[in-house]
Amino acid sequence: MLIVAIAFIVLLLMGMPVAFAIAISGTLFFIQHPELPFTIPVQVTVSQTQNFALLAVPLFIMAGNLMNRSGITERLLELASVLTGRLTGGLAQVSIALSALMGGVSGSAIADAAMQSRILGDEMVKRGFPLGFAASVLSYGAVLTPIIPPGIGMILYGTIGQVSIGRLFAAGFVPAFLLWLSLSVAVWLTAKRRGYMPEREQWPTGREAIRAFTGGIWAILFPVFLLLGLRMGVFTPSEIGAFAVVYAIFIGVLIYRKMKVRGFLEAMEGSLGDVGSVMFLIALSAIFSYGIVLDRVPEVVSGWILGVTGNLQGAMILVALFVLVIGFFIDATVLIIMLTPIFLPLIRQLGGDPVHFGIVFILAATIGNFTPPVGAAMYAVCSIMKCPIGAYTRESVPLFAAVALVTLFLIFVPGAVLLLPNLIFG
Amino acid sequence: MGTIYALLKRLEAVLAGTFLLLMVVLIFTGGVARMLGHPLNWTIDLSTASFAWGAFLCADVAWRNNALMSIDVLTARLPARAARALTYANYLIIAGFLVYVIYAGTWLSWTSRARAFQGIPSVSYSWVTASIVVGGLLLLLTTLIKVHAALKEDGLFRSSSTVAR
Amino acid sequence: QETYTLRFNHVLGPNEPFHQGFLDWAERVEQRTDGGLTIEVFHSAQLGVEEDIIEQIRQGANIGQNTDAARLGNYVPGIAVVNGPYFVESLEEAYQLADSPTMQEWQQELADEHGLKVVCFDWVQGFRNFFTNKPIRTPEDLAGQRIRTPPAPIWQESIRALGAEPVALNFTDIYPGLQQQAVDGAELVYPNITAANLYEVLSHGSETKHILLVNFQVVSSQWFNGLPEDYQTALVEECRTAGQETSATIEEAVAEAKAEVMEQGMTVVEDVDLEAFREAGEKAYEELGLVEAKNKVQEEIGK
Ligand code: NA
Ligand code: NA
Repeated sequence: MLIVAIAFIVLLLMGMPVAFAIAISGTLFFIQHPELPFTIPVQVTVSQTQNFALLAVPLFIMAGNLMNRSGITERLLELASVLTGRLTGGLAQVSIALSALMGGVSGSAIADAAMQSRILGDEMVKRGFPLGFAASVLSYGAVLTPIIPPGIGMILYGTIGQVSIGRLFAAGFVPAFLLWLSLSVAVWLTAKRRGYMPEREQWPTGREAIRAFTGGIWAILFPVFLLLGLRMGVFTPSEIGAFAVVYAIFIGVLIYRKMKVRGFLEAMEGSLGDVGSVMFLIALSAIFSYGIVLDRVPEVVSGWILGVTGNLQGAMILVALFVLVIGFFIDATVLIIMLTPIFLPLIRQLGGDPVHFGIVFILAATIGNFTPPVGAAMYAVCSIMKCPIGAYTRESVPLFAAVALVTLFLIFVPGAVLLLPNLIFG
Repeated sequence: MGTIYALLKRLEAVLAGTFLLLMVVLIFTGGVARMLGHPLNWTIDLSTASFAWGAFLCADVAWRNNALMSIDVLTARLPARAARALTYANYLIIAGFLVYVIYAGTWLSWTSRARAFQGIPSVSYSWVTASIVVGGLLLLLTTLIKVHAALKEDGLFRSSSTVAR
Repeated sequence: QETYTLRFNHVLGPNEPFHQGFLDWAERVEQRTDGGLTIEVFHSAQLGVEEDIIEQIRQGANIGQNTDAARLGNYVPGIAVVNGPYFVESLEEAYQLADSPTMQEWQQELADEHGLKVVCFDWVQGFRNFFTNKPIRTPEDLAGQRIRTPPAPIWQESIRALGAEPVALNFTDIYPGLQQQAVDGAELVYPNITAANLYEVLSHGSETKHILLVNFQVVSSQWFNGLPEDYQTALVEECRTAGQETSATIEEAVAEAKAEVMEQGMTVVEDVDLEAFREAGEKAYEELGLVEAKNKVQEEIGK
């Protein structure tokens, strides 16, 4: 695996597209293992596209593109501008709030980040936010998605680790609120420091607010309807993206009557490139993770952690760090499947609570999606917004710090995680 | 030649879009049918199959539009000639990898043709595997066109029209 | 002395008795061959999707997989009967399958024509029952119930024959699917319910015992034939021993899981009209053209 990692870094520095770099370096592992069939890299890549949990990604990308052509986005922005225009860094705050709203719906951070950058990306840049700032805010907002229930990550963790999924769901709310708060403060601080002016001078009058609100009612109802679709059992979490697409088309064609054939085709055409760049990377990264599993890297690390510390908090920090680093390369869904069975027993052995650890673990696995060198959500947002990784990385430092602080806080204050589940389930 | 390629691009976009929409229609119909008490189990199967085809066709669209992300921390700081050499090296390695993908994908589609798709005996999983072969061929074509364009830009390649002149 | 490694993949979690069983198998084989043959066990499908692994095995890789008769039925259709309703109804009957000439013929065909060597199949996961939000006593009670079922045709047909509406749902969607009533129930073994905390979203377990799930340990026949003969024997014999021990452990685990789901508030329905269900189940074999195969094997094991 060492050669693979070195090759990956070299190819990356050569400026090769990350999707190819990860695939080609991952394939080197198979050259070192001639006893393995030479077809495995191709086979596992195809298999990724058969993973039902990943269907949410293309579906929400399409939904984002279609919302832009249906009139939903416009009205949503109008509403946002009226309500938050007085705030420093208004639209940036809106994007984080929107992530919180969408968090209850889409279980995938990558899907959420991609959709939001489609909806809000251009508009934020148009209103004067630097490209890197806009991209990193849109990206990090999606950290809320897997933490706000329901999340595919929680379901996977609960199923594999035999942890109550109901408790995990309940445990997500307080951390999600803390994440929102910390991201919001980070955005506010940056906006204040740089003197991003509010776009409006006054708070809206009641009349203005009501007008904007009724105008944007279908946009506001979007996540509400999606949630209803989930709760009424029409769709499962993996399927809800299809409902989002149909909703966007329905509103665009029948309610706002703004979407014509041409707009629809343009939205679809835009989706092709978005889906291609995101899914190709996710599919090919399966080649890379194969070697990590076969070499039993996580088991080795787990043994090493126990050797270093017998302290629960210390072990949790080390696990979170490892998950974060390995999350640079591997999708959170895959990470949870791969690592839950290895780290959960370790935490149990040290007397940790499985629900507490689950939230910290899922959060750490998700953060990896937003950080260089490889983060699927980061790449999705940056490729959709045509934002250089360098600019993104610089601008995302405060947001990363905010999220990291919350993670540390959650490690040391289990009560913040366990309060609600204990209240509900006793 | 140019018109054939334009046609191919058009066909690729139409097919990719159709596969994506098919996914939506199938999943949506499946959810509604299940709610009405008449689950259609084939909708899920067919949607993941069209996902595979859609994903790899879209990958080519993204590669052609230079929408695949890369990191330019080093290349942006290199002298132009060195950066250019790296670009050629990238294309070469990628083309080699794609040849491998096409070969291994074809071989896999052939040897595993007995594998049933989602356990449906009459449908072979090779129809899904074939998506990466076709995707690989298109990606390779796009890579070669990129090489061709780069060579032309660098004056290392005379286009056929100049030769004729 | 040349050493050999088998990488063995299964989809179950590390806390399932099967995982411990595979580790035991590995340990015994390693001891018996003085470290000449090691088995590395990968749980939770870490090495990949079951169908992918089976293809890798067919290509001669030193990889193994725990699988079921429904999947093997893709290659040799007859063998799928083992997955049918009420095919075998006790551990003893399941173990007797190994001596059935027809089963041996099918295994030979799997090895010769498809490169799949069945090492043993003494691994029995226990009875599958219906878990729903109402009591199920007769096939009529299942009418209109949307039951989550694995996607294999034999499985879907079996559940349909028993009176329910089978729904192929993604594994991770079972819990939320039940919670939000996208499906009305699932057919599983008791330990599945405790492992995935499904008692949080289900109220009744009805003991229809419709499938006794027999699992198969499959490796590449090319790789297997390349092993020294005593290694082959060690691999097969220890597979049977570990499998039968694990199956016995599972019977205990089932009892424990059953007690736990009751403690968690689920109602267990034991007065099920098994005769009516057995009769209904026949339809599945007719539908799939497996009646003859089923009768033949059942006759051979004296059922
Ligand atoms: Na969520
Ligand atoms: Na990352």
